[in-house]
Amino acid sequence: MRKTRALLFVAALAFAALFAAGCAKKAAEAPPTPPPAPPVVQPVTPESTPPPAPETPVPVPTVTAGDFTDVFFDLDSHALRDDAKLALDLAAKLLRDRVDVNITLEGHCDERGTVEYNQALGERRANAARDYLVNAGVSAGRIQTLSYGKERPFAEGHDESAWAQNRRAHFVLR
Amino acid sequence: MRRLPLIVLLAALAATGARAQTREVRIDIAGSGRRMQLYCEAFETGRLPAGAPAARQADEVLAADLEQSAVFLVSRAWAGQPPFDVEAVTGGRWKVSGGQVTLEGEVRDFPARRPILSKVYRGPVADWRRLVHQFADDIVLQFTGEPGVAGTRIAFMVVEGRSKELWVMDLDGAGARSLTRDRSIALSPSWSPDGSLLAFSTYRDGGSPHLYVVPATGGKLYPVSVRPGLNTSPAYSPDGRELACTLSKDGNSEIYVLDARGGSPRRLTDNRAIDTSPCWSPTGREIAFTSDRSGLPQVHVMDRDGGNVRRLTYEVDYTDSPAWSPRGDLVAFVSRTSMGFDLYVCGAGGANARLVVSGGSNENPRWSPDGRHLVFASNREGPYALFVSDLDGRPPRKLDTGARTAMSPSWSPSPSHMATTVPTNASHSNPGGRP
Repeated sequence: MRKTRALLFVAALAFAALFAAGCAKKAAEAPPTPPPAPPVVQPVTPESTPPPAPETPVPVPTVTAGDFTDVFFDLDSHALRDDAKLALDLAAKLLRDRVDVNITLEGHCDERGTVEYNQALGERRANAARDYLVNAGVSAGRIQTLSYGKERPFAEGHDESAWAQNRRAHFVLR
Repeated sequence: MRRLPLIVLLAALAATGARAQTREVRIDIAGSGRRMQLYCEAFETGRLPAGAPAARQADEVLAADLEQSAVFLVSRAWAGQPPFDVEAVTGGRWKVSGGQVTLEGEVRDFPARRPILSKVYRGPVADWRRLVHQFADDIVLQFTGEPGVAGTRIAFMVVEGRSKELWVMDLDGAGARSLTRDRSIALSPSWSPDGSLLAFSTYRDGGSPHLYVVPATGGKLYPVSVRPGLNTSPAYSPDGRELACTLSKDGNSEIYVLDARGGSPRRLTDNRAIDTSPCWSPTGREIAFTSDRSGLPQVHVMDRDGGNVRRLTYEVDYTDSPAWSPRGDLVAFVSRTSMGFDLYVCGAGGANARLVVSGGSNENPRWSPDGRHLVFASNREGPYALFVSDLDGRPPRKLDTGARTAMSPSWSPSPSHMATTVPTNASHSNPGGRP
């Protein structure tokens, strides 16, 4: 089960990389469903940390925000894409294994919405990610949500590549 | 498809030229037609002590006020501009004694120079600009039946690195000062109807945004809603007793009405969609707001109890940031483009949507208290700055924010003319939210 998931993740990463490379030549015009944005933080690679047995979780020395992959969204949407679900599956596993780790999920938006609407949309994105983690067995009490709308962009540009980076639920450890 | 009628309307406007005086413009916007020509003569002054306005300074402030009114075209006598086609002349004199300044303002017809308006303004020398603004607003009142807005102020957000601080300034850019200095993100200011308070949303408490209130002249800010989740987009009711806002304490962004101190929340919307950006009609009987209940965000209108919800207009798609005109007849809003947002107005019933400002991104429109102008934030000339449109097809003009990057403007109510010898405004009642 876990092995399949890890394999799926590797496949998805490779696919995302290929897809992103293929799209780099495309015009700035926004595609209706943009490709998954390349993750900025390094995910746990399956090779360096093989999935531990569910019954006896091997304690990871330190968990950092870098162990989580942010969750990316389509324009005007808080629906979880397949790449988002992969990232959340990984996060859920990490959180189940390390019950001492609590997180804040920050909802973010690109600049193509008003200040006030984006505050609400960012909250929906954070909530969508939270709900998925809770369904995957993470206690709701360990997850706070917070929306910055378009006030804290990750990429400062004004094109689809920047916008895709900015539509995210961002993991913060607390 | 929905844009087709707009294109037709735009083409019609373009065909009639920049000074288009379409029938709906004439009906909707007083002052959008022909502008009256005024000849501004310099104020006579005696020997002025330190602190008094320098020669030309007060003259220029008055001339600029009259130009910005969108009612007048101005010739400056001191600049050698000829009195061409002039209908009236402004002038008068300054006197300064004992720290008090007296402005005797005069308006005469032309060329006969018979008195039309003569009024005396007194106040502390430091307040001389306010006296000139009052004179300008009285001139607008004389010729249009409604006072001008030269004495109003603008609240706005100044972008400083990754933070946004709340500022206020006079409409002409003078007296700019910050009301917050917490290196957080302040957003969405709303003036209390008596002009004494500003409600806004801020991330200063570290987590989700909360609603705070600060005296408009500066001072200690205090929280009015720190409920879990979003506390955003506050809007004082026209009587100042209530605050409409967005709260997500029940799991989803909904419109609530609080009392002015933030208590007694009354929920107006109840669905799984985003509802935000409430804005009152001037009667307080209706609230316009943004909802994505049918997909993309669209401006909706509901009764003050939350009933009778309807979409504002079907002539434009993806609409947000509603602002109801103080006269009640128009609603301004923004619509998304590939560049950001365009600015529109339509009738309060949703008909006759027309494009007011395009180019760059134009956001957060708010009306002047006389309903003649819209202030908004735009990146049309570079970094975000504040602009005013007179809704008459002329290009918007940039407000002077001292080169600060500025967003989220909000126009103050009309000032009470406290320094005049003749009371010109009934005193306003205090809002319930006064600390």
